[in-house]
Amino acid sequence: MSELNFVGKSFKRKDGPDKVTGRAVYSEDVKLPGTLIGRILRSPHPHARIVGIDTSKARALPGVKGVITVEDTKGVKHGFVETPRYPADQEVLARGKVVHVGEEIAAVAAVDAITAQRALALIEVEYEILPAVFDAERAMDPSAPEIHPSHPKVKEEYANIGGKSEGGWGDVERGFAESHYVREDRFESQVRTHGYLESQVTLAHWEGDKLNVWTSSMGNFVKRAKLAKTLDLPYSAVRIHKTYVGGTFGGKIDLFSHEYCAARLSILTGRPVRIVASREEIFSAFRHAQPLIVEVKTGVKKDGTILAQQMRVINDAGAYRGSGVVVVFLAWGFTMAPYRCPNLKYEGFSVYTNYSVRAPQRGHGCPKVRFAIESQLDMIAEALGIDPIAIRLRNARQPGEELPNGDNVHNGNLPACIRMAAEKSELLKKYGQARKTPQTGHLRRGIGIGISAYFGGSLVYPNSSGVMVKMNDDGSAIVLTGAIDVGQGSETIIAQIVAEELAVGMDDVKLISSDTDATPQDIGAWVSGMTYITGNAARQAAGNAREKLIQVAAEQMKVPVEDLWVENKEVFNRRHPEQRMSYAQVFAASVATRRGDTIVGEGFWRTMRDEPTHPSLATTKGRWTENYAFSAQVAEVEVDIETGEAKLVKAYTVHDCGFPINPALVKGQVDGQVSMALGHAFLEEVLTKNGYTLNPNWLDYRMPTIHNMAASEDADVITEEYRVGQPYRTKEVGEGLVSGILAAMGNAVYDATGVRLYSTPFAPDRILDGLKKLQLKQAAEIRETTTEMQWSQP
Amino acid sequence: MILYDFDYERPGTLQEAMSLLRNSGVDARLLAGGTDLLPNMRVQNLKPALLISLGAIAPMPPQAGEDGSIRIDALSRLADLENSDFIRREIPLLAESAHAVGGNQIRQSATLGGNLCQETRCLHLNQEHDYQFAAPCYKRGGDCCYPYPGNKPGSCWSVYMSDTAPALIALGAEVEILGEEGTRSVPAERLFSGNALTPLLIARSEMIRSLIVPAAPAGFGWGYHKSTLRGGLEFAMANMAVTLRLEDDGETCAAARIVVGAVSEGPLRASSAERKLVGKALTAELLSEAADDASDEINPLPHHGFTRNYLRENIRVYLRRTLTAALERASGGII
Ligand SMILES: Cc1cc2nc3c(=O)[nH]c(=O)nc-3n(C[C@H](O)[C@H](O)[C@H](O)COP(=O)(O)OP(=O)(O)OC[C@H]3O[C@@H](n4cnc5c(N)ncnc54)[C@H](O)[C@@H]3O)c2cc1C
Ligand code: SF4
Repeated sequence: MSELNFVGKSFKRKDGPDKVTGRAVYSEDVKLPGTLIGRILRSPHPHARIVGIDTSKARALPGVKGVITVEDTKGVKHGFVETPRYPADQEVLARGKVVHVGEEIAAVAAVDAITAQRALALIEVEYEILPAVFDAERAMDPSAPEIHPSHPKVKEEYANIGGKSEGGWGDVERGFAESHYVREDRFESQVRTHGYLESQVTLAHWEGDKLNVWTSSMGNFVKRAKLAKTLDLPYSAVRIHKTYVGGTFGGKIDLFSHEYCAARLSILTGRPVRIVASREEIFSAFRHAQPLIVEVKTGVKKDGTILAQQMRVINDAGAYRGSGVVVVFLAWGFTMAPYRCPNLKYEGFSVYTNYSVRAPQRGHGCPKVRFAIESQLDMIAEALGIDPIAIRLRNARQPGEELPNGDNVHNGNLPACIRMAAEKSELLKKYGQARKTPQTGHLRRGIGIGISAYFGGSLVYPNSSGVMVKMNDDGSAIVLTGAIDVGQGSETIIAQIVAEELAVGMDDVKLISSDTDATPQDIGAWVSGMTYITGNAARQAAGNAREKLIQVAAEQMKVPVEDLWVENKEVFNRRHPEQRMSYAQVFAASVATRRGDTIVGEGFWRTMRDEPTHPSLATTKGRWTENYAFSAQVAEVEVDIETGEAKLVKAYTVHDCGFPINPALVKGQVDGQVSMALGHAFLEEVLTKNGYTLNPNWLDYRMPTIHNMAASEDADVITEEYRVGQPYRTKEVGEGLVSGILAAMGNAVYDATGVRLYSTPFAPDRILDGLKKLQLKQAAEIRETTTEMQWSQP
Repeated sequence: MILYDFDYERPGTLQEAMSLLRNSGVDARLLAGGTDLLPNMRVQNLKPALLISLGAIAPMPPQAGEDGSIRIDALSRLADLENSDFIRREIPLLAESAHAVGGNQIRQSATLGGNLCQETRCLHLNQEHDYQFAAPCYKRGGDCCYPYPGNKPGSCWSVYMSDTAPALIALGAEVEILGEEGTRSVPAERLFSGNALTPLLIARSEMIRSLIVPAAPAGFGWGYHKSTLRGGLEFAMANMAVTLRLEDDGETCAAARIVVGAVSEGPLRASSAERKLVGKALTAELLSEAADDASDEINPLPHHGFTRNYLRENIRVYLRRTLTAALERASGGII
């Protein structure tokens, strides 16, 4: 029974065959007769008052079936965050003013795309242009144009503050005073986007009392709640159907205007309405990730022990609150989780600017925070003459450590990750080679390390996942789960867990998933908790079905329950293994003797079950998570010192994901994150000018291709076990690994060239500028020493 | 999706295609692989009323002439050129430049003629204009320029990014053009006006029929480089093609062509750098100086987020390396 047959094995993905044969149905593949094509009229200005909108000409155009503006909505606002402190702040269509280029003003539904396009051109909007601001620090200046009033609870005299997070403990001033070495640095990052291949697509069909929706999503229950609220419908009147989803990476959570518009237009016209965003729209009007400015001051003892750290984070949050106030909260968590720090002071401001709204992106702030802290730590180590491994080991949290916010590291083992990463990569042997030994040619190799900690699940609506396992009378099982497979493989691992707990084959488990009418509520694929939360719910549901099967079998076989166990779709007597009943027989017996009981197992899970709610975004008080996933990553880069071109050559990832339910999927997550991080480091940037997007396409926004991918090695530090019938802890492996490796690449570029980069991306011109400055500095130093020598001549 | 109505013809012969082009009476365009034209129509930079597909007309395979020159049909697919043993052996520079274009899917439909006749590019131009950069700029027939608002009216600094054009110029290829009066022939470098509004010196009623690449003389060497950030599926930051010919002594430069593309309204020849090489024994130092000169002479337009300073540096370094590769090949090393 301790032997695991399904969990911990690299089963092929359940969705694989559908996807590679083209059978998989994505939202755009769902065809309904009579479907109208919807399109959105968007703002051509970054900041303007709407003086008037005249839709009469568009309405009069033959073929146009519906036109809506904010006047045709219920006026219910929505927001990524909806709490008393941060109430919903965004209308589904602009009311009175627009605050970013591409903001939604009106929507049309027409018989075909050309008519819809013509209708958009016929809508007349009169604007009064307002001054706009595109720099977060400029926007904080009280004299800056006001996008929205600053949050009333923020005391500082800053403009455009959407929210502020504060946290810390101890006394940083005293900590700095007691420090042997203190340094202060500032780091910046570019705007990046998610790069999901499947566009934003929504098909909505109102059938008189029911709204059926197919939409590219990463959390159907969140979509349902927000859609129902803004439409003023009961939740039960909205059904979000399952479709395959072509990638999200954080960019498809929350409600989007086009989803509302498709639904509203369907309600008004009585016909299905489809809206598909063009790639340009996704780049220039939808959501990107937050670029953060991170100022960090750190004081250490002579041996590298961190005594005090002060962080100031400024988030360019775009034109509405979006996830801006979440990222400045999370940045706090990503700061304090991996290293012990007795005196810590954190403040983070989320600042409105006239850019499109921001969303989470894989890592949600973590890469930027770790890039700053890990870069600085290497600088500190160098100044103290300590190696990069020793300084990290000195400060890394130990297993079992209690965090000041009440969380516990449990078995999480960061020191083991660091040690193993250093060993596997032979970092200490390679580190410093390019700078210390004479080099020939134009290529330089460098190596660097970065570490990170990520949370595995937190309390966010809808807070918990439920799963049902219903037995079929042939002994196979159907799993009902709200979990949404966005490519991460949730359906595969849920099937593995159910197969394990129920002792049936992988092919005996079929999933009905992410359909808000047919499946229990689920947290969604967005707080890094699905394998833990939905997985434990699935374990419970399958266990519950197993218990029922055993119960019935015990009655039939007249054997105590304790003596029975399951294997190969059979219940058997452990004392007399030849005595057994197939599930099909047990099922029949259950129906016959238990008043038709068809054996349905139920399970549910909520993380931090004793916590009333999520931690405070503003004060950072309260528990954050019960699972910390630690990781240490090493990067080897190669830099062409003549052109400044740099690339990742090799990545080593050592992570503590707890227990890998499916090692191949874990490996897929690792490699995917390494490739995303190298895009962050070297290639990707959303270029903008005055709020307009200059490169809204795949050619000019450069995501890595397969040819850019570096060799990626990884290893798990397995700190947890999976035992049938027991709650288990998996941690997280889907987002945390974009961060340490980014920092590692920055440190490796330094190791290769001596150029310390404070901003991403590490573009060739930046590296070349750094090399030139270094040459000038070295030349000046040589001049100085030669003058000194001359002076000291007798 | 192309959101306007247009007509489409698919003639079976060149004659029919030419007569449609001339006599349709509407704004007609030839459709070869469509990989440049259709994206431009999608964002309505171009709105031809009639597309004349060349898809039914099979290209002739490359042919060697009596003088050793090679004639290449303009309808040849780039993938066929880069994968042709004959082209790889006889004109490796062309094969390499064809291979540099886009990605494999693009090259499978893209043609050589279409590659030469591609539109110039600018970040403000190659996107939908529904709400971004909605007012037409000069290139779109309007009266503004987004990146260079101070420029004198009508001046457009979009860049011409063909990867094969610099190679064909460096090879001294001739372009055979079918027009109303029959066939005319111009050197490849004379195809370009230097004006981004009308970058090509070829009438809309004309068609490129073929490219004629002269035979490689003894002592010939070539080099090609396309600078990109990502290394593929990407237009060039700068591309460069170099050809050298050495005298019989195996050292002295008899002829040199240095062509840099993607950083101006058309491909540019670095003539003074070329002159610097001719008549001299080619040393690493001389090549390096020539690369410096060329990068100063070229004066790249900042484009697609790249600064002029960085483009200069990049061109300087890669021209030196490309010239070095050309010299190695010329002096009997690798071809
Ligand atoms: C994703 C992507 C990546 C790309 N990357 C690159 C790149 O890296 N480098 C590069 O150079 N290009 C690139 N391109 C542009 C384009 O694919 C190539 O330039 C291609 O070679 C164009 O050839 P075509 O046959 O598809 O031309 P078409 O699109 O059919 O035609 C382009 C223009 O040429 C005209 N034309 C076509 N054939 C002739 C002819 N024989 N005589 C006269 N006029 C003619 C057409 O009327 C049209 O105006 C890319 C395009 C895409 C979509
Ligand atoms: S450079 Fe040319 S294409 Fe670009 S905006 Fe100016 S006129 Fe238009």
